[in-house]
Amino acid sequence: MTDLLGPRTSQRPRTVGWVTTEATPAAPDASGPDDAEVGRRFAAGDEQALAWAYERWAAQVHGMAVRAFGPGPDAEDVTQQTFVSAWTGRSGFRPEQGPLPAWLVGVARHKIADTWARRDRQRRAAEAAAAEAQRLPAVGPAPVDSAVADRVLLLGELDRLGQPQRGIIELAFFADLTHTQIAERTGLPLGTVKSHIRRTLERLRDRLEVDGAALHA
Amino acid sequence: MRHCTPEDLGLAALGEPLPADEAAHLAGCARCGDEVAALRRGVEALAVPELAAPGPPVAPPPGLWAGIAAATGVGVAPRAHVVAASAPPAGVPDSPPLPVGAGPVPPPADPPLAPVVPLRPRRSRVLLAAAAALVAGLAIGAGAVALRGGDDAGGSGVPVAAATLDPLAESDASGRAEVVERADGTLVLEVDLAAGAPAEGYYEAWLLTESVSGLIPLGVVRTGSEQFELPAGLDLGEYPVVDVSIEQLDGDPTHSGVSVARGQLA
Repeated sequence: MTDLLGPRTSQRPRTVGWVTTEATPAAPDASGPDDAEVGRRFAAGDEQALAWAYERWAAQVHGMAVRAFGPGPDAEDVTQQTFVSAWTGRSGFRPEQGPLPAWLVGVARHKIADTWARRDRQRRAAEAAAAEAQRLPAVGPAPVDSAVADRVLLLGELDRLGQPQRGIIELAFFADLTHTQIAERTGLPLGTVKSHIRRTLERLRDRLEVDGAALHA
Repeated sequence: MRHCTPEDLGLAALGEPLPADEAAHLAGCARCGDEVAALRRGVEALAVPELAAPGPPVAPPPGLWAGIAAATGVGVAPRAHVVAASAPPAGVPDSPPLPVGAGPVPPPADPPLAPVVPLRPRRSRVLLAAAAALVAGLAIGAGAVALRGGDDAGGSGVPVAAATLDPLAESDASGRAEVVERADGTLVLEVDLAAGAPAEGYYEAWLLTESVSGLIPLGVVRTGSEQFELPAGLDLGEYPVVDVSIEQLDGDPTHSGVSVARGQLA
């Protein structure tokens, strides 16, 4: 498990100019236009840009999927769905808001969370069937795994954040940076970073208290 | 009573250590503690390793693109050798996959579906390294208290709790911690550390919550015996774990994540 965490903390995104947690430039020997141009063409619906995006970033996306589910059908579904959703939902990608790989990683997070939710539904269905088969006394439906539901809900809320709030909270959540490191990375004043973190966490809390309560009821 | 600022409560929810005054207040204030707990729920949901920034790349299997092409109707294709070259061979990920149920419908007895490490990674590394030591510390710590029989009863206070500090990971550090109550009611933690000098940096003592989601820095420890007066109002039930870490002289006041010894007060 230490190995799992090690590479990420040592990894430092190399793209500056956006507040972003992840954007790995294309390998130096890759042919085709630069990453920014791939992003613009992707947004414009150029099919070749989807193929380039796959060449450059499918391994990163698949690496996340394998980390979450191990090699196999679930991980492959996540990777596949990430690119399909990214393409069909490309109108939601704004090249001026951040690089394409960062956006793809955000889509992949949704797919991972959705897969957890699907597995949770299957688990509850299986438990209900098993209880039925064994004629166990009724104990009510198996509870929803609230962390699984919270993740789907909160990833959606992150999508609604503008910059720099979104980039700041992603650096804190997904790159494990302290607020001091985030300030250094982004060049934003420490107080600004702290107050964005606070407001975003309050927003996520409010979202859980309003919608999460209904979801878990 | 002056409460923590909303900004500090946000940082505490992220697991960042607060300045000593704020940390001491937070440890004793139910209102601030509740607020941190409410904010932390979002952190625990999202700041998990599975959603973290991409780690080692894994080349997708060659057939994967076909499904994307079918679903999108896109007529061009990525060059297979470029995809294959973008990562080490598939099936040999650099990091072990997280343990999850294998089949699409796991049997009911399976462990929880989403393997959650509900802490920030720096913290979770501490947590993982320590899990076994905590259990051992519980048993040994309790034994140590029972066996003491007042051997330093003539000392400067009444012992209220003690812990054996067991080495973590590959460290050779070990020791003992004891909390005594002085006549004036203040609590003092005495740490007896047996360890070689660290190759770099220095040892620091901390009190942790059992889940390692909260930390109170105590100060620098050298090999031998050190005493730390604990903040008034500190609830040792909430911060029962004594932790010794190696810290670098890097100006970063947060826990390095490198713990060398730990034990639970009992």
